[in-house]
Amino acid sequence: MLLAFMQRGREKHSGSRLAIVLLAAILVTGCATAPNPKYTAAVADYEILNDPAEPTNRAIFKFNKALDTAIFKPVATVYKDYTPSIFQRGVHNVLNNLRTPIIFANDLLQGKLQRAWNTLARFFINSTIGFAGLGDPAADYGFKFHNEDFGQTLAAWGLPEGPYIVLPVFGPSNPRDAIGLVVDALIDPLNIWLSNTNREELIFARAGVRGIDERTSNFDALEDLEKSSLDFYASLRSLYRQHRGDEIRDGEPSVNIPMPGLSNIIPGITPDEEPGSDFGKNVASRTQ
Amino acid sequence: MIKRRTYLGGCFTLLLAASMSWATTTRAESIEDSAKAFLDTLSGKALQSLTVKGVPRMERIEKFRKLFNEYFAVKTIGQWVLGRYWRKATPEQQKEYLDLFEDLIVVSYVDRFAQYTGSGLKIVKTLANNEKVATVYSEITQPNSAQVVRVNWRIRKSSKLIKIVDVVVEGTSMSITMKSDFGSTIRNKGGEVAGLIEVLRDKTAALKKEASAQ
Repeated sequence: MLLAFMQRGREKHSGSRLAIVLLAAILVTGCATAPNPKYTAAVADYEILNDPAEPTNRAIFKFNKALDTAIFKPVATVYKDYTPSIFQRGVHNVLNNLRTPIIFANDLLQGKLQRAWNTLARFFINSTIGFAGLGDPAADYGFKFHNEDFGQTLAAWGLPEGPYIVLPVFGPSNPRDAIGLVVDALIDPLNIWLSNTNREELIFARAGVRGIDERTSNFDALEDLEKSSLDFYASLRSLYRQHRGDEIRDGEPSVNIPMPGLSNIIPGITPDEEPGSDFGKNVASRTQ
Repeated sequence: MIKRRTYLGGCFTLLLAASMSWATTTRAESIEDSAKAFLDTLSGKALQSLTVKGVPRMERIEKFRKLFNEYFAVKTIGQWVLGRYWRKATPEQQKEYLDLFEDLIVVSYVDRFAQYTGSGLKIVKTLANNEKVATVYSEITQPNSAQVVRVNWRIRKSSKLIKIVDVVVEGTSMSITMKSDFGSTIRNKGGEVAGLIEVLRDKTAALKKEASAQ
C-alpha cells in the first residue's frame, strides 16, 4: 500500500482470488454508520472525511501494512542501504524517462502545451546525452521533471474524486484515481509493446522496480509520519488527499488552504473558531 | 488652455497611480520582508544549535523545543488542530493537551526540522497572502538526493508577534494532517478529549523513551 501511496504505478496482478477476498471483506465489514443528522458538527465531519467505507478501508489498510512490513519495507531498506546512491538515482531517472509517453499524453489531454513540450524536450535530451535516461541533464537545462497521470486529467476535466478508498497493495485512492491507474497502464506504449511480444514478465519487473523506487523515495517521510501519528490511517488519508490536490494544481498554492490563526469558511473544511487566539479573527486570504 | 488642462490632468493621474502603487508595494513589502527575514534568522539559529555533531538526542530535542516556542505560534496551532473540541475541554485538559502537543512535535520532528532549516534551505520567493500573513516558498536540497523538497512556511504577523503558523511540505500542510489525525482519534474515543489526551500521553512517553535510548 505504502508503495502506492504516491506511486500511481501499475503493478496490477492482484488476481481474482484477491478480488473475492476483498468483496467478502466489504460485505462483512460494511460501511461506516452515518451520524445522526441532528448533530450538525458530526455530520459535517462525516462529509468532510469523505470516507463512507471507513471500516473496510481500515481493514485493507491493515492488510497493506502487514504486506509492507513483510515485503516492501525490508526490500526498500536493503535497496536504500546497500546499493550506491548514484545507482538508485540512475534507476529513478530511467523509470521517469520510461514514463514519458504517459506524462506527455496527459499533458496534452489537459491542454497544457508548455508542459507537454517540456516533457518531450526532457525525453530527447535525457535519452541521448543522458545515456538512455540514466542521467537527468535536461533538468540542468531548465526542463525539470513533472508528473502527470490520468487521474489528474480526469480531475482537470471536472470529474469529482468520489469517496476515499484504500486499494489492496496500491493503498490510498479514490474512484477517479483508480480509473486513472488502470487507464495509464492500458495506454502505456511500452506495456502494449511488451505485451504484444509476449514479454509480460518485463511489465511486472518494471512495475516492481518502480514500486521499490517509490517506497525508497518516501521512506523517511513515511517513517516520520507514522512516528508522529496517533492514527496513522487518518494521517495518511489526509496526506493523500492534500498531495493529490497539490499534483492536480501542478504545485500551485491553493487559494483555499486553511491554516491556524485564520478563520476558514471554506467549502470542504470544517469552519473552526479560534477562541482565545492572540491572532484574533481574520478574513480568509487571497491576494495572489 | 484645454491642452494645458489635459496635460495637468495627465500628470495628476500619473502621480495618483504612482502614489497608489507605492502605497501597495510598501504595505506588501513590509510583511514579505519581515517574513523572509524571520525565516532567515530561524535558519541561522537552527544551523547553530541543531546541526552540531555528537550532541545527545534528548539535548537536541530540548534545543528544538526552545526554537519551536520562540518561532512557532504553538498555542494557536494547537488550538486549531483540536478544532471544535477545544471548547469542550476543561482548562486543565487544555493545558495538558498543549504540553503534550508540543512534546509530540519536538520529539518526532527534530531531525526533519534540522534538515529543513539547515544549509539546504533556499528561499525562492515570498508572497503576502494579506497584510498579516505571508508565505515563504523554499526549496530544500537533501544530501545524497537529487530530489528537491518544496517547503512553504506560512508566517503571521500581529502587532507585536511574528510566528510560523504552518509548514506545508510538497503541498501537504502539517497542521491539516495533524488536525485530521487528532480528530479521528477523538472520534474513535467517543468524542472525548480525555481519550485523545490518554493516547497522546502514551505516544509521547514511548517516543521519549526511544529518544533517550539513542
